[in-house]
Amino acid sequence: MATYDFIFDRLGLRDWCGERVTGDAPMTMAELLARGKSQNAEAGLSWSDVWNVPFPSMDALNEACPSFARTRDMTRGVEDAFLAIKDGLKVVLDPLTQPLSWLLDGALYVSHATPWWIMIPVLLLLTFWASRSLPLVGFVGTTLGFLGFIDHFNYAMETLSIIFVCAALCVVLGVPIGIAMSRNDRLQRVMIPVLDMLQTLPTFVYLIPLIFLFSVTEAKLYGIAIILYAIVPVVRLTDLGIRLVDKEVIEAGHAYGMTRRQMLYGVEIPLALPNIMAGVNQTIMMSLAMVVIASLVSAPGLGVLVLRGIRNLELGVGLIAGLGIVLLAVILDRVTKAALARVNAASAVPRH
Amino acid sequence: MKKTLMAAALSVMAAPAFAQDCGEVSVAEMNWASASIISKVTEFLMTQGYGCEVTLFPSATTTAVASLAENNEPDVVPELWVNSAPLYLELEAAGKAKTAANVFSDGGTENWWVPDYLVAAHPELATIDGILANPDLVGGKFHNCPDGWGCRIANDNLIKAFDFAGKGMEVFNHGSGETLAAAIASAYDNKEPFFGYYYGPTAVLGRYNMVAVDIGPYNAEIHACNQTQDCAKPGISSYPAAPVLTVVTSDFAERQPAVFDLVSKITFTSAELSALLAWQDDNGASAEEAAVHYLTQKKDTWMTWVNEDAAAKLAAIFP
Repeated sequence: MATYDFIFDRLGLRDWCGERVTGDAPMTMAELLARGKSQNAEAGLSWSDVWNVPFPSMDALNEACPSFARTRDMTRGVEDAFLAIKDGLKVVLDPLTQPLSWLLDGALYVSHATPWWIMIPVLLLLTFWASRSLPLVGFVGTTLGFLGFIDHFNYAMETLSIIFVCAALCVVLGVPIGIAMSRNDRLQRVMIPVLDMLQTLPTFVYLIPLIFLFSVTEAKLYGIAIILYAIVPVVRLTDLGIRLVDKEVIEAGHAYGMTRRQMLYGVEIPLALPNIMAGVNQTIMMSLAMVVIASLVSAPGLGVLVLRGIRNLELGVGLIAGLGIVLLAVILDRVTKAALARVNAASAVPRH
Repeated sequence: MKKTLMAAALSVMAAPAFAQDCGEVSVAEMNWASASIISKVTEFLMTQGYGCEVTLFPSATTTAVASLAENNEPDVVPELWVNSAPLYLELEAAGKAKTAANVFSDGGTENWWVPDYLVAAHPELATIDGILANPDLVGGKFHNCPDGWGCRIANDNLIKAFDFAGKGMEVFNHGSGETLAAAIASAYDNKEPFFGYYYGPTAVLGRYNMVAVDIGPYNAEIHACNQTQDCAKPGISSYPAAPVLTVVTSDFAERQPAVFDLVSKITFTSAELSALLAWQDDNGASAEEAAVHYLTQKKDTWMTWVNEDAAAKLAAIFP
């Protein structure tokens, strides 16, 4: 006798429910143990029955009515539905995302093929261009030298090249999305839950459908995982930055007869730039965080060493690779913060 | 207060029922399907037959062995692939831990595999020479173990010995066991070429018909060298049947001889377990349900593992 028999009896659905087919169906441990006790079970309602009344879940209702779907039927249904649309999705998404694979493979190739005595000066020049700060260049140089000295330079460069590609794509895709969101309240209402979801979903949950959609040997698999996770801050902060632009400045722009395009490029984006840059900084940091997890889907770099450290309990390997990641994070953070400070200083110049 | 009451109630219930007090037992539950089922079966027999209070600890190969070494816990570690945890051999030599049983009576399988439809179309692909002569037929890619797996070192040495690079065979290093399994699954579902490493008994090898590639005879000396990171002269040797053990702490074996006796009898054949994993997959069942399925279907087998007292108690559940 199941607890919820009365629902189906009352609704006259007993015939629809049909008989339980006993046989090879999975049995839970609780059911197995209950089998042992059933011989001395007493009839009638006891206090413990009331205390242990099950929540009317799908499984509990199934017990009363075999035709009612069980929870596992639901998860299987979701899986079947996904597999059914998979091929269609693949036809669309596969060519669309192919450039990502090329970019990542290309960046990794460059990081492998370039000798260190070209790579380090180029990175230092890049640092100087972004920050115009000689102490920072010195710091970056020392850090890269240290990574090279402990034989982690190549791993660090692999990680760095993945981050460059992914963060650049995040900005290229994220800023327009953020601008569109700031223009359209309805789009913003739709996008915010999506962004929340991307940020909070455990990473492996969206890696699973990706594994089904794309070949696991393709670089874009981890590229997409990183981009989906890291694109959120740049979208959010672009949207926020443009919405925070002073209404009076916009009005002044209208008074001068500016077109929408002029308004966007001449007023809104420059004034929102500090916020956008803060978003870029966060996006870079989040791609770095994700690149370690992405090693689970075969992203090369320092993350591989961290995973090896965890798997073999090689404490030293894990800690040193972790230190390398921290150093990369510090470099990237300092350089983007310095660039941000320059942007802020430029936009703080009196405009009247 | 509540705790003492419960303890009192438990002792009242337990005292007449169990002649020998088993007490608390910690059992590791490894994070893959077959080990999970074995842990659940072990838990059931210990709890229902011997009156133990079993706690299952989610664990993995290296973490379980490290915990054995550092904390002398958990008491029982089922399905330990010793090749992936050489630290265990030291523990055994030091007398801290003890092998209770070869949990797979015929040993675990490690091999390089190609799908059956490829071999049907091109019989030469059943041997490594045939594969290396036609890398394109298997997709030109060898799916290698993730970094940190025991097989990775041996594979890397074999790859050198076979000169994959010179024969146009690309090596793809997977990031985790999940993507390696997914690569086999998606290749098989789409009838695409595949060539790579896997181990068994696992749900993957139970579900997909893979053909083991003949990479030559097993040579203990060469294989031992291949298993070290800095093997000076990598040679060609196939994998031997892998020892897969149930391991207990020496303390536990002394403290609970009766339960140790049970643990040392819990063994499965690879075929048995593959069939069970396939059943679990087909029915979308949990590990616990698979364990129940095993217990209800193979009563004759496991009844020989337990002693008379336990058999009498279990007979109430399995009339």
